[in-house]
Amino acid sequence: MTKRLGTGKRTGRKAAGAQGRATPARRPTRSGPASVPGDRADEPRPAEPQTDRLRYLDAATRSIARGMDLDETLSELCRAAVPAFADTALVHLYDPLPVGDETTPVPGVLRLHTTRQTSPQALPSAAEAVHPAVGGPLATRLRDGRPVFGDAPNAAATVTELLGPANVGTTPPPGRRLILAPLHGRSHVLGSVVLLRGAGRPVFTDDDLLVASQLATHTALGIDKAMLYAREASVADTLQRTMLPPSLPEPPGVRLASRYLPASRTAQVGGDWYDTIPLPGNRVALVIGDVMGHSMTSAAIMGQLRTTVQTLALLDLPPDEVLHHLDEQAERLGTEHTATCLYALYDPVLQRLLVSNAGHLPPVLLRPDGTGEILSVPPGPPIGVGGGGFESTEIHAPAGATLLLYTDGLVESRDSDVLTGVENLRARLRTAAAQAAPPALETLCDAALGALGTGDRDDDVALLAARFEGILPETVAYWYMAPRPQTAGQARRLTRRTLHRWGLDSLIETTELMVSEVVANAVRFASRPITLRLLCTDVLRCEVGDDSPVVPRMRHARLSDEGGRGLFLVDQLSERWGATRLSTGKVVWFEQSLPDDVAH
Amino acid sequence: MSSPADDSGYAHLRLDRAGQAAAFDALGDRYDEAFPHKEGQVAAAEWLIRSLPTGSRALDLGSGTGIPTALQLAEAGLKVVGVDLSDGMVALARRNVPAAEFRQADIADLRPGGPLDLGRFEAVAAFFSLLMLPRAEIPPALRTIHHLLVPGGLFALSMVEADVDDFSIPFVGESIRVSGYLRDELREVVETAGFEIVDESSFTYAPASADIQPEVQIFLRCRRRHA
Repeated sequence: MTKRLGTGKRTGRKAAGAQGRATPARRPTRSGPASVPGDRADEPRPAEPQTDRLRYLDAATRSIARGMDLDETLSELCRAAVPAFADTALVHLYDPLPVGDETTPVPGVLRLHTTRQTSPQALPSAAEAVHPAVGGPLATRLRDGRPVFGDAPNAAATVTELLGPANVGTTPPPGRRLILAPLHGRSHVLGSVVLLRGAGRPVFTDDDLLVASQLATHTALGIDKAMLYAREASVADTLQRTMLPPSLPEPPGVRLASRYLPASRTAQVGGDWYDTIPLPGNRVALVIGDVMGHSMTSAAIMGQLRTTVQTLALLDLPPDEVLHHLDEQAERLGTEHTATCLYALYDPVLQRLLVSNAGHLPPVLLRPDGTGEILSVPPGPPIGVGGGGFESTEIHAPAGATLLLYTDGLVESRDSDVLTGVENLRARLRTAAAQAAPPALETLCDAALGALGTGDRDDDVALLAARFEGILPETVAYWYMAPRPQTAGQARRLTRRTLHRWGLDSLIETTELMVSEVVANAVRFASRPITLRLLCTDVLRCEVGDDSPVVPRMRHARLSDEGGRGLFLVDQLSERWGATRLSTGKVVWFEQSLPDDVAH
Repeated sequence: MSSPADDSGYAHLRLDRAGQAAAFDALGDRYDEAFPHKEGQVAAAEWLIRSLPTGSRALDLGSGTGIPTALQLAEAGLKVVGVDLSDGMVALARRNVPAAEFRQADIADLRPGGPLDLGRFEAVAAFFSLLMLPRAEIPPALRTIHHLLVPGGLFALSMVEADVDDFSIPFVGESIRVSGYLRDELREVVETAGFEIVDESSFTYAPASADIQPEVQIFLRCRRRHA
C-alpha cells in the first residue's frame, strides 16, 4: 500500500500539467487547503505521509466548516478536493433537501449541485437530475452511508445510475480512480459526492477512501448547519415581513408611502416596524418603532408591540397615553428588550399633529415651501424601561407638508453619527423638494433612502412618509347632543340640512333613516351627550359616538331587538359600516358612495 | 313674591361659575392662538359698525382678549365697554385695546336692578359667551341684553350649535362647561326674549387645537323689539 495520497510524483504532475491544472501555489484565486504531499514542487523533503494526510484533512475540514450557506459549504468542499485530492468532484443533493430532524420521506430526485474539475473534458455530460430507483443500487448505497471505490461490488451499477452510462463507459473503467461518498447529515441522506482522478494520476488508496469519508462527513454536517441557519433566517425574515402591514390604507386627507429594507446579512433580522391606523373623524395614527437588537426575538417582540399599539390606537387614546400603556404592556411581556417608538396623530380637519415619543429619532417635517424641519419633540424614555413621563406635543401640520418617520438604520452608519445622518437626510429631502414642488411621495421616499436602497446595510431600515392634504372644515359637521327621546329626530333634521347644503339631496332619505336608527340606538345607552359627525370627502361618512362601551353587533340583529334591527338596516343601505370601541365609549360609523354628479 | 329681580328670571337660580373664569385666566393668549380666523365674528361686528353712527355705545359681552371685536368696534369710532368674567382676560383686553373700557363682571350683575349699571347701548355683541352659561340662565341673560339695549338696538350673537346643558368639554388643555341649542331652538329662545332675527348664518369652524372638535357656529343678527 503506497503512502502517497495524491498525484503521482513522476507521471501525475506531468499529466496534470498537460490537462491544464494549475498547481495550488500558483492559483490566482483563493486556494484550497495545502495540497496532498508530493503535489508541490517546492516541497523540501517528503513529509511523513500520515502526518501530511492529517494536515491536509485538518485544513480541508476547517474550510468546509467555515461555510455558512449551502453554496459556500459545497464550494469549499470542491476547492479542498480539487485539485489537491482529485481531478473532478461532483456533488449531488436530494431535492428538496431535508432540514434538521424533520421526518420527511426521501425525496425522489437527486440534482447535480456543484461540479469542479481540472479539465472540462473529464466529465462531458453528467445528468442534471437523477431519479434513483426505489430499492435500486444507488438508493441502497446512499442509505448505507459508507464511501466506496468504483470497483466495489455493485459500484458500477450505482455509478451508472448516478452519472449515466456515457460517463462510466469510458475506458479504462474508473475502478479505483473513482470514489462515491454518500453525504449523511444528522438524520438524513442528503446526497453524494463523486471524486474522480484522471488517467494520468495514481489510483485512490484505502487511506484515500478514509480521507474521502472524512470530507463527506464534514460536508454533510456543514450542509445540515447551513440549512438550519438558512431556515432560521428565512423564518425570521418571514416573521418580520408578516408583521409589517401588507399595504397602507388610503384615508382621505392624507397620502401614505413606506419602505422597509432588511439588513444586508441574511441572519440580521431587525425589529423595525411602522404602522398607519385610520381613526374616527378621518384622523390617522402614524407609528414607527424599533425593537433593540437583531434576532428572531426582536422580530417577535416587535410583532407584539405593534399589535399592542394598534389596539391602544383604536381606543382613540392621546399619543402620550398610547405610549404609557405600551410601556406598561412591554413590562408585562416580561421582556428585557427595549424599544423606541414614535406615535403621531394627524387630524386633517384641524390640520394638527399630536406627537409623542419614546426615545425614537425625531421626525422630519418637509414644509410646502421645501424647507425641512427636524421636529423638536421631547425624546422621552424608551419603551420597556418603565420610566413613563411621555408627553404629547402639538404641531401645525399644513396641507402640502410631508412628515417622515424613520428608524436609525436610515441615518446611522459606521461612517457617521446619528446627528450627521439626520442632517444628511434633511439635505437629501431638500434637494428632492427643490426639483419638484411638491415632490411625489414615492420620489421623496427614494430620496430619503439615498444610497441605502442599493448598498450594503448594517441595520434594517423602516420609513413612513405622510403627505398632509387636509380636509376643508366646510365638508365636516359635528354636534354634541344630550341623549333624549327627541334626539333621533333632531339628528334627522341636522342631517337633512347639512346634506342639502352639500348638494347631496339624493342621499338625504337613506342617510336620515340610518342616522336616526344609529342615534336612537346610541341614546338608549348613553349617559352623556352623544356626538354626530358628518364628513363628505370622496364618500359620505356618518359617525355617531356615545359614552357607552357596549358595541352593537350584527349577530344581535334579531327582529325582537330594536337596536339590532337598526344595524341590519344600516348593513343593507350603506356601503360599509362598523363600530369602534374607544376609551370614552364607542363610535358607530357608516359610509355611502357619493352620487356620480357630485363625486369628482 | 314678585320683585324686580324676579322679573329678570334669576330669582330661582343658584349661579355656579366655578372654574369657568379660572379656565380663561389660565388660558391667556393661548385662547386667540386656538381660535384664529374669526371671519364670521369679524363680519358680524362689521354689520354693527355699518348700521350705527360713530360714537354709538357698544357692549362686548364676554370680551375676552379684546381681539378682534372690541378692537374692531373701537377703531371704527364706537364707544366700547367690554365685560368679562375672567380677570386675566380683562387685563389682556385693557392692554390690547386701550381705547375701550373693560369691566370684570358677571352678566348676571348687569340684570335690571343688578349691582352693576352700565347704562344703555345701541349695540350688544355676545360672541361665544352665552354658551358658557347653564341653559337655565340663557333666557334671563337674553332678557338682560334686551334691557341693556335701546329700543331698536342691535344684537349680534354667536353660539356653537349643540344640544347640551352645562356640559363639560376639554378646552385648550383646560376644561369648561358649555351649553347650546340646535338652530331652530336657538332661534326660538332668542325671539322669545324679545328680538327680531334679521339674518342667520352658520358654518363649520376648525379650531387650531387638537383637543377641540370642529364645531358648527351659528351667527344671528338681531334687533331689539320694543316689548
